[in-house]
Amino acid sequence: VLLIEADGKALLAEHGIPVPDAVLVSDATIGELPGEGPWIVKAQVPVGGRGKAGGVVRCETPQDVAAAVHRMLGKRLKGHEVEACLIEQAAIGDERYLAVMVDAASYGLRVIYSTQGGIDIEQSGSAQARLCAPHPAAVVEALSELTAGEPDAVRNHVHPAGRKLADMLIQRELALAEINPLFVSPVGCAAGDAKIVVDLSAVERQPRIAALIQARPDTYADANRKLTEGFDYVELDPEGHIGLVTTGAGLSMMLIDELTARGMKPLNFCDIRTGQMRGSPARAMRVLEWITSRPSLRAILVSVFAGITDLAEFGGLLATAMEQTPTLRVPVVARLVGRGAPEAKRILAERHPDMLVTEDLEEAMAAIARVAA
Amino acid sequence: MIGSLSHETPVIVQGITGRMGRTHAALMRSYGTNIVGGTSTRTDTPEAAGVPVFANCRDAVLATGAVASVVLAPPMETRAAVEEALGAGIRLVVTVAEGIPLHDAIQIGRAARRADAVWIGGSTPGLAIPGEIKLGFLPDVCLRPGPFAIMSKSGTLSYECGYRLALAGLGQSIWVGVGGDQVKGVRFADLLPVLFADPRTHAILLVGEVGGSEEEECADAVARLGLRKPIYALIAGREAKEGVTMGHAGALVLGDAGTLASKTQRLTAAGASVFGSIEAIVAACISDFAAMRT
Repeated sequence: VLLIEADGKALLAEHGIPVPDAVLVSDATIGELPGEGPWIVKAQVPVGGRGKAGGVVRCETPQDVAAAVHRMLGKRLKGHEVEACLIEQAAIGDERYLAVMVDAASYGLRVIYSTQGGIDIEQSGSAQARLCAPHPAAVVEALSELTAGEPDAVRNHVHPAGRKLADMLIQRELALAEINPLFVSPVGCAAGDAKIVVDLSAVERQPRIAALIQARPDTYADANRKLTEGFDYVELDPEGHIGLVTTGAGLSMMLIDELTARGMKPLNFCDIRTGQMRGSPARAMRVLEWITSRPSLRAILVSVFAGITDLAEFGGLLATAMEQTPTLRVPVVARLVGRGAPEAKRILAERHPDMLVTEDLEEAMAAIARVAA
Repeated sequence: MIGSLSHETPVIVQGITGRMGRTHAALMRSYGTNIVGGTSTRTDTPEAAGVPVFANCRDAVLATGAVASVVLAPPMETRAAVEEALGAGIRLVVTVAEGIPLHDAIQIGRAARRADAVWIGGSTPGLAIPGEIKLGFLPDVCLRPGPFAIMSKSGTLSYECGYRLALAGLGQSIWVGVGGDQVKGVRFADLLPVLFADPRTHAILLVGEVGGSEEEECADAVARLGLRKPIYALIAGREAKEGVTMGHAGALVLGDAGTLASKTQRLTAAGASVFGSIEAIVAACISDFAAMRT
């Protein structure tokens, strides 16, 4: 999960990496501005490339700040609603790029450094990378090689920042910790931005990360849902037409691709994990409740490829969940294949005679296209 | 190691007395896998799923000669379980758990590399050589001996492809779920030499998804080794939003890295055929291998 900049910077500050003075605003009431201008106003959405998309604005006067905040709040930026803006005192210094991340193929870390910060690092081609073991000392050694061409004044500030970044990445079990730009001046370093990716699988033993996620139920809605419910549900388009009650991350993603390619608008991603339902319709009811809360909904596609799950049991639970969801007023098409599929089909036909139940995914998608048209 | 697995390979199940452990040990046995025992740290049950239960891997390996292990431990306990298995001399370990912490996965990978052992997982249904052995829980309904090697990040999407091909009479030579995690054991590129060398394999079905760089690494490996067998690729996540994870921890697009466009372009340049839908890839496989249908 990518943290918003404000949360990423809170972590950086806790680990001793200086960040500019800032305030976070979530409505038009802007209190005292941090220090003297100029200021940078930044939309707090968990996505990169905010600058190019108009989510980062430099402001010379308090009036400009107010106008920028007003313009950004509530708007959508790269698919995410802007719920808050960070107003920051503009930092000064030379801009560098510094990142430490998990490198999957080498079972280690990748340290990346560039003498040109503040820009699209992949495009510029100026970044150099080194792989190293997952230890802070190894990161410092890698960084020392990467900064060999820099003057001592820069190295003396960048190396401690790199060490702290590595400590943070390892202690907090992060996937990525990137600072771009990293401002370097005679008085030290300051993080101009923070791109921090946390590992949701480790939050059980990372109380600080858990607290950050839980403190923003709306910004990190998907992550919070996963932590409290124990399965994946991601709302893709609040104005979508097709609700998905599906199992398996890969197949569910593919269904979203295929439905979209056929001109339909999926509402959500879902991996309901039938194996964890343990004889209760509660989980299916939760998903139906979320899906049916959107007025744009036109149809629901259920898709389960059961390797282990007994579909006869799932069919009964689905039938019950549908009966107990009073907000369900759209057609449901179910694609069930695997152990107990014929019995599931019989149960559903008896309790929901209007529902199409098939073993064929192509037939199910064609039916969804028909009923949602 | 993967290519030489057979119905004779002795296998243990770590965590065999749990709900998952008992179920899957029994299902693997009924498929024909030579499950010779299991371990449990929590009970002193002498037997589960019809095989002896040991207190630890060392005892299990000494008593049974097991060389492979399927770990059915919770994600937070998976690292300790793998380290125990490797310490006991296990050569191939399959971890099915979803949600192994990333930094635990790094340490598991390093430990497996030090031991020169093969690690498969996490977030995987496991692997199978149809008609010989199944390690994990690939659905029997999809498994059928045949010419296609399947390697996949996603369980369900590979089931869907494997099932439709099997219905059409085209089975699998080797099926490996590499799993949906970012840091994992065997990767697509690691499997290429195995599959190129395997005489049963006539073509490779690569089921990928957005995020990470595994598909790109695989394309590089093809460029290096040569396209010695045709590769058919399906990549999920065209509609994935940047910065949003859908189910699999590894399926995260950030900036230009890990996008569908990048993967498609690199695989295509390496000579693989990349498809945009399940129906399209299945149809191409059936048409190109019509002569091998059984």
